[in-house]
Amino acid sequence: MTERVSQPTEQKPTLAHTSGSSSLRKMMKEDWWKHLLLIIISIFLFFPFVITLIISFKDMNQFSVEPFWPTFPLHWGNYTEAGAIVVPYIFNSIVVSGTACFGVVLIGSLTAYVFASFSFPGRELLYYLILILLMIPNILTLVPSFVVVRDLRLLDTNWALILPWIAGGQVFAIFILRTFYAAMPKDLFEAARIDGAGELAIYARIAVPLSKSILGVVAIFNILGTWNDFLWPLITISTPDSYPLVLGLFRFQSQYYTVWGPLMAGYVIGTIPLIILFAFTSRLFVQGLAAGGIKL
Amino acid sequence: MTLWRRIVKARYYYFLLLPCFVLLILFNYYPAFLALWGSIFTLDYGREGTYVGLKNFRDLWNDSTFITSVRNVVALTLFGTITAITIPIFVAEWIFRLQSDRAQYFYRIIMVWPAIVPGLVTLLLWQFIYDPYYGLLNAMLSWVGLDSWANTAWLADPDLALYALMGSAFPFVGGIGVLIYLAGLQSISVEIYDAAKLDGAGGMRQFLTIDLPLIKGQIRLNMVLSIIAGLQALTGPLVLTNGGPVNATMVPGLYMYQQAFTYGRLGYASAIGVIVFIAVFVLTVFNLTLFKDKD
Repeated sequence: MTERVSQPTEQKPTLAHTSGSSSLRKMMKEDWWKHLLLIIISIFLFFPFVITLIISFKDMNQFSVEPFWPTFPLHWGNYTEAGAIVVPYIFNSIVVSGTACFGVVLIGSLTAYVFASFSFPGRELLYYLILILLMIPNILTLVPSFVVVRDLRLLDTNWALILPWIAGGQVFAIFILRTFYAAMPKDLFEAARIDGAGELAIYARIAVPLSKSILGVVAIFNILGTWNDFLWPLITISTPDSYPLVLGLFRFQSQYYTVWGPLMAGYVIGTIPLIILFAFTSRLFVQGLAAGGIKL
Repeated sequence: MTLWRRIVKARYYYFLLLPCFVLLILFNYYPAFLALWGSIFTLDYGREGTYVGLKNFRDLWNDSTFITSVRNVVALTLFGTITAITIPIFVAEWIFRLQSDRAQYFYRIIMVWPAIVPGLVTLLLWQFIYDPYYGLLNAMLSWVGLDSWANTAWLADPDLALYALMGSAFPFVGGIGVLIYLAGLQSISVEIYDAAKLDGAGGMRQFLTIDLPLIKGQIRLNMVLSIIAGLQALTGPLVLTNGGPVNATMVPGLYMYQQAFTYGRLGYASAIGVIVFIAVFVLTVFNLTLFKDKD
């Protein structure tokens, strides 16, 4: 697991041994059909979003005359109109997903560190109690979780999202991080202990800094999960002003359906935050997706 | 040292685990318990509920909507699993066999794209694509001359809605499957391919005799993941069709959601959740043991 995270780019079997620089043409000659197929798949993947982008610049007239090809002038006004509605939702999402992510990284790493570094009675039992949760599908607990949140009087507050998201998110974080911390050289910690550092100081000053990149993977996947969660906010949040983005977009869609320009502009705006996140962390993304999938 | 002394000595560690377990008990263990409790013992939760034994399950057995929803989810999961296993293999192979590392990396990034677009946005786009009057699909059908098809109400036709739902996963390479296969292919050692080439095995032969057997684990993983996701399907039908028309796209997850949050029948809803949970659990365990024995 740790190997896979730390060395993402791979030894790749060179099927035809590329000899020197003149092989570029030969390579293209052999690979062109794979490129062609992959490009077709990529076009299918992106096609709906290209259409969305095109429509997002149209007014009603342009759409009724020429719905799917670009038309001019571009109506940037759609973006101001949609932005006024969608951007506040984005801020709500940043607050709840950000807080939940912080909680998951903090509690997850501390818990994983305790499990990896110390031995105490019941350690394995407690750890399996956590792991078993990976086997419980969300659908079983969806309704009762709602009841719990209702009885705690958290409905329609940010805590209704944040606390269950931390509780659920930390499971996978602990699973990934324990393996990582267990593989760290013990001498480091011993040296610090001899120097009289307390256990919490060792965790904060040694373990956390050394696990920054895997904490990054955990954080990004946690954000991805909560940011795109639709169902849980749908049943727990009822005040439109505190909707997270995805729920806000759903509501926006029911208001603006057939007002295509602003509607599509809203979708585009709603997609931008994760694209920005992705742009800065794409390597972690790819590693994490692969690593996460392998272990689940 | 007695167990008790050891526990007392380790109290600091338990204290550090406290935040984790407090949250888990509140939001994971207790709800899981409540799901079983609510479904088996009471019609409604806790204080106001009454003991009804297995009545909820018996009622489900005779509930024609639920039976329809099970049939639908089996069809959706079957289709979803078959596409999730097969199509990503080809895409992963094409990417894996590219000579250039940079091209490989480029396509891998592209394959991550579906994961960073909010799933809901994709669903809403499909709703637009399927729209009978303004939709992209009907427009494309009339471009290619199939005008008689170009007014189809894909999501409102009881005979088509379920297939439309299946189609909304097009082109069936959603993110993680391809990357799982790629990781598997990349862990195959170079020597095996070198040996195969010396023996004169071509691309197809290598695929069948090296790649497929060695990524069995990844195939199994993709299968398990898509079965788990398929049986729990809820958001897709909820957004695209809300189970309609006339339950043509009803699935147990959505039925559970409606029973709980539209009709307030929390006990009945929990019973549905328990049934889906058991199905997921049994299929996962069955899958894992079945494949393990063969290895």
